[in-house]
Amino acid sequence: MSARDDEIRRVVAELDAHMAAVEASVAALKALLADDEVPGQEDPS
Amino acid sequence: MRVLADVTGENLRQWRESKGWDVPRMARELRKAARDTGEDVAAHHGLVKMIPQWERGGRAPRERYRLLYLKVFEDVSQGMAAGADLVVRIADLRSYAAGLPAPDEIRTLEAAALAKPRKSMTPAEIRARAAEAIIHLREVAAKIAELSALLGDDAVGEVES
Repeated sequence: MSARDDEIRRVVAELDAHMAAVEASVAALKALLADDEVPGQEDPS
Repeated sequence: MRVLADVTGENLRQWRESKGWDVPRMARELRKAARDTGEDVAAHHGLVKMIPQWERGGRAPRERYRLLYLKVFEDVSQGMAAGADLVVRIADLRSYAAGLPAPDEIRTLEAAALAKPRKSMTPAEIRARAAEAIIHLREVAAKIAELSALLGDDAVGEVES
């Protein structure tokens, strides 16, 4: 395994982590929008 | 895994050239591999004549020599397999990165979320989430560019920052 291959693998791993972080944040925002709950208007049942 | 069927004339030449070996060096490597396994093979000058014939496809190496080739190039084949896996992985990541939302789309999501207050996330948390997504999105663009530079290609700019 060459030093260049190691470097490529390192960048790929970092890229993977950043993409996962973007996905997690976007998913959280989308989940929030999908939730119709509004403070003070919860179903009392 | 590389198998005997892969030992074709064209592959033999490519494998040898991938190591930067000339024909006499290839002959020495085959004889060395044979010595390691205690096998009898042709003399050096005989191999120097046979190797170009095998590489041109004029004659096929006998099984003993095909097995020796596989032994000599075991590390090359493993390296090539690992390299191919990495190429596929990088292509997948680039394709996936290209499908991520753009910063404008994240800001639109943020604005929509802020417009409808919820107990599960405060406005500050919503802003922090959106900002975090955009920061990581920029890092994705930077890593794609770094990867492209390492690979020496032009596939930069698939992700807007």
